[in-house]
Amino acid sequence: MKLIWTLLRQHLSPAQLIGFFFANLFGMWVVMLGIQFYKDVIPLFTEEDSFINNNFLVVSKHVTTMSTLTGRNNAFSTSDIADIRRQPFCKRVGAFTSSQYKVSASMGMKGSAPLNTEMFFEAVPDSFVDANAADWQYIPGNKTVPVILPRTYIALYNFGFAQARNLPKVSDGLVGVIDMHIFINANGQHASFEGKVLGFSSRLNTILVPQSFIDWSNATYEPGKTEDPSRVILEVKSPTDDAIAKYMQQKGYDVEDNKLDAGKTTYFLRVVVSLVMLVGLLVSILSFYILMLSIYLLVQKNTRKLENLLLIGYLPSRVSLPYQLLTLGLNASTLILALALLAVTRHYYMDTISIIFPSVKAGPMLPAILTGCVIFVVVSIINILAIRKKVINIWYRR
Amino acid sequence: MNSIEMKGVLPHVFEQRTDLQSDVWKQDIRFEKGKTYLVEAMSGTGKSTLCSYILGYRHDYQGLVLFDQADTRTLSINDWAEIRKSHVSHLFQELRLFPELTALQNVQIKNNLTHFKEEAEIEHWFELLGIADKLQAKVGIMSFGQQQRVAMIRALVQPFDFLLVDEPISHLDDTNSAIMADIMTTEANRQGAGIIATSIGKHMNLNYDQTFHL
Repeated sequence: MKLIWTLLRQHLSPAQLIGFFFANLFGMWVVMLGIQFYKDVIPLFTEEDSFINNNFLVVSKHVTTMSTLTGRNNAFSTSDIADIRRQPFCKRVGAFTSSQYKVSASMGMKGSAPLNTEMFFEAVPDSFVDANAADWQYIPGNKTVPVILPRTYIALYNFGFAQARNLPKVSDGLVGVIDMHIFINANGQHASFEGKVLGFSSRLNTILVPQSFIDWSNATYEPGKTEDPSRVILEVKSPTDDAIAKYMQQKGYDVEDNKLDAGKTTYFLRVVVSLVMLVGLLVSILSFYILMLSIYLLVQKNTRKLENLLLIGYLPSRVSLPYQLLTLGLNASTLILALALLAVTRHYYMDTISIIFPSVKAGPMLPAILTGCVIFVVVSIINILAIRKKVINIWYRR
Repeated sequence: MNSIEMKGVLPHVFEQRTDLQSDVWKQDIRFEKGKTYLVEAMSGTGKSTLCSYILGYRHDYQGLVLFDQADTRTLSINDWAEIRKSHVSHLFQELRLFPELTALQNVQIKNNLTHFKEEAEIEHWFELLGIADKLQAKVGIMSFGQQQRVAMIRALVQPFDFLLVDEPISHLDDTNSAIMADIMTTEANRQGAGIIATSIGKHMNLNYDQTFHL
């Protein structure tokens, strides 16, 4: 074997092989990175909201510059709500009730400096909230109020506030450690409550408390003051029904549809990832051609030696073997290095993503690894067969 | 393999010739194991072509080449490789040595395949042929006569039923060709093999059983 290799490595061009090595490494890395990134990031956009059902839509009246300047009311009247209720797509409607008094709150993790902010509360009928009925209620006189926070707040807190002050980040699993103190100031009355954060919702952009608390607190701190709701929540039979979009447009209502945004985002993510993978695949294919050309050139330059080996009794499979092992080794080492590179890159971007989305769970690595292995196997098989064919051609003196 | 037969074999290039006078082409001839044959010819009459048909690397002929009555056209790649490794050894006219390798390595590359001879015996042959000092020399810088001797040794490090030597002594003096003939016949007799030698005039002094004029 050593002697044959001494013979057949003549005219071997390290420059060409190094060129192939890095091109293939890059191609494989990009393809696998595309898949891995997609697998890691997509759950962030498609995860289900645990509190608000998918068939619920939040509707508000369109706010325009004109309506702001003229001070036109954006609230839903009773007849507006009744009209929505009559629509065939609508199962049921509930109005948002907002707090009529001033609220401020301080939030922080156990023992850390709190974030103080002015606030407001809203409530929807309890039947629209998928929370344990025992947790999601307020009995007058209690000092603890259950709260559902919008997920954007958490991003704000984690990425802005906590990051700047070196405070620990909050994730879904850690809602219990959030300290929330609520202060109500109205009509000379002061009251403080403990907020109990039940979780986060990405579908409702409001600070949600139980209907029972809003009813009680509005009656207690701002008696007699009522306001028409500026938003309504409705359950529809099918959120993709065309009639919904038509009706909303005709009435000039806005639908707050987080799902829709997520859909767009995942669509563009898919397009971008596919493009990146396509480029990676193209690089891989081109590098494969470099290798094939390099090996063909090598076989061509060593034709005389290969022919002599065959004439003194060597089998074509035996004289093909060194070149086949060479390509196999090159392909295998690019695969291993690309995997290592992928792991490093992934570690780096997951760090960044987990700052923005602490709840992110790493996706499976298997699809990317499998893809890498499939590329390796396919490319290696083609290489091995092509080399074998070249040597057989020499046997037949073609 | 006990016999090589050629039945009406004619290279395609000679098909147009009408003045062909040959003991081989278009004739039925038979080489038998254990016997010694001489094929004499002018240059250009197809000695090396004859060898290439027997070694199976050219098939541009009409007629039949038979090994033990079996048509060689039906042989597979694996069959031919086995024949070249264990049944028919060939000393090529153009030698087909590897100039990048040393004289010893050129012999080893064959012996590694067959595991037929001990290194000591190979070195002994180098001594007998007067090229022991060239064992570690690259073949590329050796004279043609020296290369011929290396090629002869390489042809002997395998089991064979027939030894096909194509102008083996064209560049050797009488002393060396006598030594070579001695080594060759000793090995062939030991294996009970047949020898087919070609020549364009100058030939080894062997006890030829039959001479063909190509």
